[in-house]
Amino acid sequence: MKITTSRFGSIEVDFSKVIEMKGPILGFERLRKFALIEHNKQSPFLWLQSVEDGAVAFVVVDPFMVKADYAPTLGDEDVRLLEIGRPADVLVLAIVTIRKEPFAATANLRAPVIVHATRRIAKQIVLEDDAYPVQYPLADQPADRPSHAGTRAPQSFQRCEGSPEAAATGK
Amino acid sequence: MLILTRKLGESIQIGDDIKISFLEVKGRQVKIGIEAPGSVTVHREEVYRVIQDQNRNAALLNTGQLPDMMDQLHRIVGGKKDVGEVGR
Repeated sequence: MKITTSRFGSIEVDFSKVIEMKGPILGFERLRKFALIEHNKQSPFLWLQSVEDGAVAFVVVDPFMVKADYAPTLGDEDVRLLEIGRPADVLVLAIVTIRKEPFAATANLRAPVIVHATRRIAKQIVLEDDAYPVQYPLADQPADRPSHAGTRAPQSFQRCEGSPEAAATGK
Repeated sequence: MLILTRKLGESIQIGDDIKISFLEVKGRQVKIGIEAPGSVTVHREEVYRVIQDQNRNAALLNTGQLPDMMDQLHRIVGGKKDVGEVGR
């Protein structure tokens, strides 16, 4: 399946790897199909590209790279909706807002996109707990970053290690 | 707008699978219970608006220097390349 995007030109997306939104990205309710595209292999940043509207894409990041002790909790309804059986099923993505000044970029930790990594269904959830900001700065907070070195996401909600390859490659 | 009056403990059924119950009134606060399928998103309106706005801002990208921007972001977040394997 070929989609034309405003950022990558025309790209080939493997239909079986398209992510279907079971719950919308708020404000984009009509867009139900996205492809997860790697920026490069080393980067924790990816694109969530709409398959239905080539002009719409989001930069997403592994939130645990931004905040090592990030521990969102999923409600029972969402666990059911996304057919999550075990923590390894789960891929968590935070939507990044890019601004003119790169250091001002923020990640939305309040409303992560939860993906079932193998079934490729997803939903943007809004955490009840307002401890996680909608605009969490990506840039180092003083006295924040060093202590994170080498730490991993909490057991309760660790991101998926064995998730499939990104849904598409930017060819 | 449809306006209904309900007593405490009563509820409203919307369609086949959404039920809203009125549980408690305390001063200016009302506690309601909502039963809805997981595919229906339920949010406090002000939170919903904030997330919606944020998403819209995030999607409106000036595409010109984005690849550079992505690399820059990567540097900002740190060089922990060995664990940066989301979606792989």
